[in-house]
Amino acid sequence: MNKTPSFKDVFLKNAVIFNPVLIQLAGLCPVVAASSSLKSAVILSAVAFAELIAVSVIASALLKKLSRWIRVPLYFVIGLVLICPALWYVETQTLAVLTMSIKIFIPLIAINSVVAVHCEQFAVKNDVKTAFLSSAAAGMGASVVFVATGALREIIGSSSIGGILLNLPLSFKGMTLPFGCLILLGFMSAALKTFIGKKHPEYSAVHSSVAAKPGDELNEKENVSEKEPEEIPLPAEEEIQYSVPEEYARIRTEEEIEEFFKSLGLDFDEKGDEK
Amino acid sequence: MSDKQKKQTAVKLSGLYGDYLVMLIAPIMLAVYQYGARALAVVASGIAGAVVTDIIFCLLLGRPFLLRDLSNVFTGAAIALMMPAGVPFYVPVAASFFAVGIVKVPFGGSLRSPFVPGAAGFAFASVCFKEQIFDYSYNSVSKLMGEHSLGYILSQGKSVHLDAINVLDILSGNVAGPMGAGCALLMVACCAVLLLKRKNSLITVAGFIAVCAVYAAIFPRVNASALTSVFLELSSGTLLFAAVFFLTDYASVPDGAVARLICGGVCGLFCMLMRTIGTYEETVCFAVLLANGFTPVINSAVSKVKGRAVRKEAA
Repeated sequence: MNKTPSFKDVFLKNAVIFNPVLIQLAGLCPVVAASSSLKSAVILSAVAFAELIAVSVIASALLKKLSRWIRVPLYFVIGLVLICPALWYVETQTLAVLTMSIKIFIPLIAINSVVAVHCEQFAVKNDVKTAFLSSAAAGMGASVVFVATGALREIIGSSSIGGILLNLPLSFKGMTLPFGCLILLGFMSAALKTFIGKKHPEYSAVHSSVAAKPGDELNEKENVSEKEPEEIPLPAEEEIQYSVPEEYARIRTEEEIEEFFKSLGLDFDEKGDEK
Repeated sequence: MSDKQKKQTAVKLSGLYGDYLVMLIAPIMLAVYQYGARALAVVASGIAGAVVTDIIFCLLLGRPFLLRDLSNVFTGAAIALMMPAGVPFYVPVAASFFAVGIVKVPFGGSLRSPFVPGAAGFAFASVCFKEQIFDYSYNSVSKLMGEHSLGYILSQGKSVHLDAINVLDILSGNVAGPMGAGCALLMVACCAVLLLKRKNSLITVAGFIAVCAVYAAIFPRVNASALTSVFLELSSGTLLFAAVFFLTDYASVPDGAVARLICGGVCGLFCMLMRTIGTYEETVCFAVLLANGFTPVINSAVSKVKGRAVRKEAA
């Protein structure tokens, strides 16, 4: 009997452990381009959140049997179909003034890699309810990053928040530029990975070994029967050849790796392989 | 451990950056002579910003702080010398903070960083404090063209005629501009020191200057002879300073003479292209960062070509 995962588990994995932006590095283009202020970031996160849920549910309900090369373009087409009314509304109604900076990026949000990655790795492999829950969690994770990035960029770059001047003694215009956003995202990603390493060390092996992917390993984890012990989720077999000991997973520097191998009585060559 | 990492581990940081600091003494003295005690205060603020940032990050990461490696002192001093003497003190401090806290420490130190921290710090300051960085009005009454720098003259595209006095003023740095980077003669002297200490790293500088000169001769920005254009382009701003102090950076310099020559050439091309079509007066630091990004690609391409040549010879 398959265990239905609780929302807490789904939220933890999709929003935090495999955060779409900070861990999977998806959706960087819209966040870099459109999150230069808090208002833009809120609109961006709302649109991306709604789109992710809608496309994931549609993908889970209707697109499972299609082959992959058809599915991926369809995600974008569905996203555009959903976003077009919003685009029309923004261009013709009162929001036009508010969102001048974000308006040109709305098509970019529609063609969003967060949606494609999440649908392909998760939604098409699960039922509609699970896809809805996971996409809501992933959307929340992405939205929090969008809003935090927008707020921090506005505070540091423009010395204001939500258009209200803070009169800080110093502001760094560079933070409103793409390079500032990428640096900020890098630090946020490092902070999140450190948090995961401390609070959920079982996942740090996944993060340090390969590019994090929630798809297959999460499915395996969530389809585990009630009687089976919980296993550390690992990526698909073709991506990782061996299981990583926990103490090795925490090792970061070359010197630490060398020390670790020496502690096992082994020598190691420059690539880190056993001799 | 790779060969490069073994080499890096064997390097004595104090010796490496000590040499650079010895080379920086002359530009600092010239800056003090030309702009007074304020120049020294700007340099001190840059150094203090870099050292304090490193101390803070060492405390946060639980690592021992080593002042004796001198890399922070060099980074802070180099950044400050590329700025005008009248710059507010928070600008070199912020630039040094960026160089050390964002570019050096997260990558594992000055010998591991793929980008030159000093170049990144100055580029950051150029973007964030554009007005302050390119305001050369401080103490510029006695200068050759008042508060106008050579970069400004070049960007205007007017007719220029050099005579012996102009040339001497420009070579000696008696032109408004970065306080420690304007004297071309000093930079040539620094190249001579590098020739004695680390002559292999000068190959990058040679490639850089050659491409800049050729580009300036073919596409002059002023209405003047090719020789005048080359002279003005090479003497303006921080071009020579960045070439000597940043392009020879131990961590980011490519392996092998050919790769170094190509890297220098790529950097020179980026620099001149950005000078021609860009909006910033000083582009060399952006070019250095771009060239740093291309260094692994250049290394890989050169090693592949060499490998093919060796296989052909063997066959």
